[in-house]
Amino acid sequence: MHIPDNYLSPATCGTLVLAVAPVWTVAVIKVKAQIKQKRETLPMLGIAASLAFLIMMFNLPIPGGTTAHAVGGTLLAVLIGPWAAVLALTVTLLLQALLFGDGGILAFGANAFNMAVIMPMVGYACYRLGEKLHHPKIGLFVGAYLGINVAALVAGIELGLQPLLAHTASGAPLYCPYGLNVTVPAMLAAHLLVAGWVEAIFTVLVYQFVHKVAPTNLYQAAAPQSRRPWLYLLGGLAILSPLGLLASNTAWGEWSPAELKQRLVAEHISQQAPQGMVQGLHFKALFQDYTIGNLPISVGYILSAVTAVLIFLLLMRGLQHDSQTTK
Amino acid sequence: MTVKQPNNLPDWLQQPNQLTSQPQRHNFLAHNQQHLTHLLARLAQPAPAVNPTRWQLSPSISLIRLGILVLLIALTNNTIWLWVLGLLLAGHLLVLAPSQLRRFTRSWLLSTGIALVVVLPSYWLVGPATVLLFVCKTGLILASTQYYRLTTTFQDLLSGLKALHCPNLFIMTLAVAITYLRMLGHYLLQTMMALDMRLVAPAKHPYQLIGTLFGNLFLKSHAYALELYAAMEARGFNGQYVNQPTTTNRWHDYLTLTPYLVLVVVFIFGGIYGIN
Amino acid sequence: MALIELTDLSYDYPNTCGLDQLNLQLNAGEFICLMGPNGSGKSTLLRILSGLEPATHGTYAFDGQVITTDYLADPQDRQRLHQQIGLVFQNTDVQLFNTSVVDEVAFGPRQLGLSEAEITQRVEDCLALTHSTDLRDRVPYQLSGGEKKRVALASVLALNPKVLLLDEPLNGLTIAAQQQMLTLLKTLQAAGKTIIMASHNFKQVQAVEPRFVIFNADHQIQADLTAQELAKQPEQQAELLTL
Repeated sequence: MHIPDNYLSPATCGTLVLAVAPVWTVAVIKVKAQIKQKRETLPMLGIAASLAFLIMMFNLPIPGGTTAHAVGGTLLAVLIGPWAAVLALTVTLLLQALLFGDGGILAFGANAFNMAVIMPMVGYACYRLGEKLHHPKIGLFVGAYLGINVAALVAGIELGLQPLLAHTASGAPLYCPYGLNVTVPAMLAAHLLVAGWVEAIFTVLVYQFVHKVAPTNLYQAAAPQSRRPWLYLLGGLAILSPLGLLASNTAWGEWSPAELKQRLVAEHISQQAPQGMVQGLHFKALFQDYTIGNLPISVGYILSAVTAVLIFLLLMRGLQHDSQTTK
Repeated sequence: MTVKQPNNLPDWLQQPNQLTSQPQRHNFLAHNQQHLTHLLARLAQPAPAVNPTRWQLSPSISLIRLGILVLLIALTNNTIWLWVLGLLLAGHLLVLAPSQLRRFTRSWLLSTGIALVVVLPSYWLVGPATVLLFVCKTGLILASTQYYRLTTTFQDLLSGLKALHCPNLFIMTLAVAITYLRMLGHYLLQTMMALDMRLVAPAKHPYQLIGTLFGNLFLKSHAYALELYAAMEARGFNGQYVNQPTTTNRWHDYLTLTPYLVLVVVFIFGGIYGIN
Repeated sequence: MALIELTDLSYDYPNTCGLDQLNLQLNAGEFICLMGPNGSGKSTLLRILSGLEPATHGTYAFDGQVITTDYLADPQDRQRLHQQIGLVFQNTDVQLFNTSVVDEVAFGPRQLGLSEAEITQRVEDCLALTHSTDLRDRVPYQLSGGEKKRVALASVLALNPKVLLLDEPLNGLTIAAQQQMLTLLKTLQAAGKTIIMASHNFKQVQAVEPRFVIFNADHQIQADLTAQELAKQPEQQAELLTL
């Protein structure tokens, strides 16, 4: 799943680095709190990074005689905590890009976004959910499977958007030449059918072993304290939102179906907009294309971002209240 | 507890084993052992492949140079530009010793070939020009990153990042990661060997074994972390990670960087934009 | 014919030499003690003898069969070799990977396709022989260094190997436990097993009168003597005492 250089346009790479930056910031804040409770977390970050490196290097046998390898994002999140896992996996990916040629240097942000943020977070969320339902192992299994597949899906989308985002005047793609109709199915097929199961089985077996032999070494989720890091994250995202303007024309992934179809037709990639997008996304966004009346486009962006943050906060608030009353 | 007299060996231990053998198709342990041995051999040689004594760049400059080069290659879609950048890169390659150059060429061709295979099916989608441009650019990027890897030790990378004002915590984590990659890798190799010695029949549940292998490895890394923290504290660790100052000629640095800076300026003001 | 025959055997690490031109014949039923300074090649030799790695040059023949790279690459041949040779690692942490001591010792016999009764028999016998019966339900990871050594030996013994290789088996044991270990090894030798161990503890090892194969710092065999011959060479003894 390591995206090499030149498959993603520099603008996409830059945007993704900026998208990951606030997550890293929150991770550092969260891990500092974790270090206060468990001091060995500090050296553990580096050691866990090398552990992740070895996991990604290890060839696992799969039926049919070939091999696959696990990424270990979810596993690490459960073993050392999700935020520490984000930092450790980031270090692993940086090492791989700079010293071992796995994954691109410009694409580092994209790879970090997919494998160091999405994968451990999705996986860990499922694990916690499973824990609440008193089936942590099932939660972990589902989490590992989902985590790697969501990461693969995002990687597929990042790659598949390139022909739409960056092309010559005549429509020839400058970076990854395959459209969404190729990259998403290719990434998903490989991960849904093989790599996802390998990851899930591997994750559960390692967890089971550690749980049996030394359960105290597992990461214990601390009781929820302040929500301040989340506020930092949201604030950072809101401030960064004008950067969406960096991407030329409309922000990627945010076309209306008609526009998407028009783009796809222009590039002779597909004569039809994907079915799901035609039928599934007919909701009217509050600020269509992020411009209201004659407002400058950047102000429109910021307003949209603030609105999104507020809605998100309200949702969180609602959920929080809910969980407290059910207790 | 009843202790048997050691001089009374049970019968089965006094008779030779009946040797059994069962067919086995794929030995994942042997495969991974080989893989890991290569990695450890690479990590055991921290010295750079090339060490030009007269023209040594400071680590931060070579890191910046790599960044500029990769960015320029990625941004442009002008063949003349690519040509110029290729020439610049080829000039650097001249510094390599012949054997290093051969090694470089071999692995560079291999990685570019893989990129070619991946992109080849798009020939029917977008035509030959795009494929050619893509392979050229990918090849150049791969060459520049590989050149960097070949001429930079891990220590240089660290001091380069340090000079570029990376946070200390991050640099320390990176340093710990590379040190413990060797230690954990060695431990994993030993564990696989021990497993191999006792795996006298094809494994019925290879995944179970792999789960225990990595479970053990995690426990070991946890133990290492505790030890390392104790050692850090014992040495008065205060969160600062200090690097040796590098002694290189700054004049050289700027001279080497000049062509790149000129290229960047030309690129920006030349009206040639990579993205339309 | 010797059980183990090494002819001009060398082993090279990527940058350094591991073993240099060894010629050695070891017979079935012998008790051999490899001695020498740190890094002189004892552990390397044990790894080659156990068939974990092929030698770089020269030949290694086990029971008349030359162990080549191809032989070791064949999973079936490799398994057959490992059924006859057991190795106790210097760092026993790497060797113990099961979740209980009983499972650890039963790991080998289970793969041999023995009946459950036979497996239980072997496990109990091996635990008793190594004085570890009281550890049976413990988690190997949480044992002390000396306990791990005993369990590691039990787990290798359960496979009933013809040749037992031990890398520094006495390290980390109390003097009493060292003597227990050596007595057990001597008994195994009396039952026809071949024991090859690397050790630093000349004083303790002397008691079981092994054949001493002594390495020098240049990774070559400096001397190959029986205990009786060594007794007549005080300088050599003095040297071994400083190891």
